[in-house]
Amino acid sequence: MNLAVQTKSSGRLTGEAKRGIFKTGEVRMSAEPSQPKIVQHMRRNPPIDGEAEAIAKAQGGDAQSFEILYSLHKRRVYSLCLRMLGNVAEAEDLTQEAFLQLYRKIGTFRGDSAFSTWLHRLAVNVVLMHLRKKGLPQVSLEETLEPSQDDGPRKDIGERDLVLSGSIDRVALERAVENLPPGYRLVFVLHDVEGYEHNEIADMLSCSIGNSKSQLHKARMKLRDLLRSGQRKEESIA
Amino acid sequence: MSDIRDKQDGKSMDCAEFQQRLPELFESGVKVSQDEHVLGCENCAALVRDLEYIASQAKLLLPIHDPSPGVWDGIQQAIRGEANQKTPEHSGKRP
Repeated sequence: MNLAVQTKSSGRLTGEAKRGIFKTGEVRMSAEPSQPKIVQHMRRNPPIDGEAEAIAKAQGGDAQSFEILYSLHKRRVYSLCLRMLGNVAEAEDLTQEAFLQLYRKIGTFRGDSAFSTWLHRLAVNVVLMHLRKKGLPQVSLEETLEPSQDDGPRKDIGERDLVLSGSIDRVALERAVENLPPGYRLVFVLHDVEGYEHNEIADMLSCSIGNSKSQLHKARMKLRDLLRSGQRKEESIA
Repeated sequence: MSDIRDKQDGKSMDCAEFQQRLPELFESGVKVSQDEHVLGCENCAALVRDLEYIASQAKLLLPIHDPSPGVWDGIQQAIRGEANQKTPEHSGKRP
């Protein structure tokens, strides 16, 4: 495989998302992948042995080095895609697309942020572009970010029963995240799992920061409902 | 539930008001568990604990899924296609 191929991609995609409705192929994204806070960056993107050398060689067209980069980052990119999409086939397609974008754009990586952060943002943008082409993901961004009341969490006034703290495991949380409505899931995964800030999410999703905060809160409330109902089921079985 | 004292002194929020303000409180950086209403309301204290717990657990979710080998095959195939300059902008799909 020869990687020393010139592509026409400039690494920039432009376009304007009109309040909630995205036209096919029209994507709004930040000019270049950027990184969340340094703390998040260090927690989630620790330096990887051999990565810098592989990047340099892959930028020079070395196929084996590109494969090394794939091996180093495939799990993280795929997990991100899967969590955002909730669909294995789509997640694999977009993992492929993300690494193809990486192949085309790796020459533009200058090391201003950690490579994994840069790649991660690239993957997020690939997923969002895909969702917008689909109608993000049901009909429109607006609808996605404003799920119906049926999907929403209820107020929790006057109810005292199960307390989650200390009682949920990772598998239960993963399953609950999968069952979130798509709009909630996007914001929750981007903020709480991936560590993006609200201003970054607002930029990515073309919504207000307030909307991002609101959706995150609703997502956590919904997760609480899902986890508690899971606990109740377990207790009724036991 | 909202307590009578809160209503009488007019300073504290009831549960509905508190929960309405909760998203902003969480994002403001204040210690929500020390909020006056939370300290006097067992139900809202439990809610705050749960939401903080969910957020903290989410940060611990690690990448655990691997793509199938077909993904890498698809990448190689698409890159070869680009190398042949047949479809430089189109990635193709997994076989």
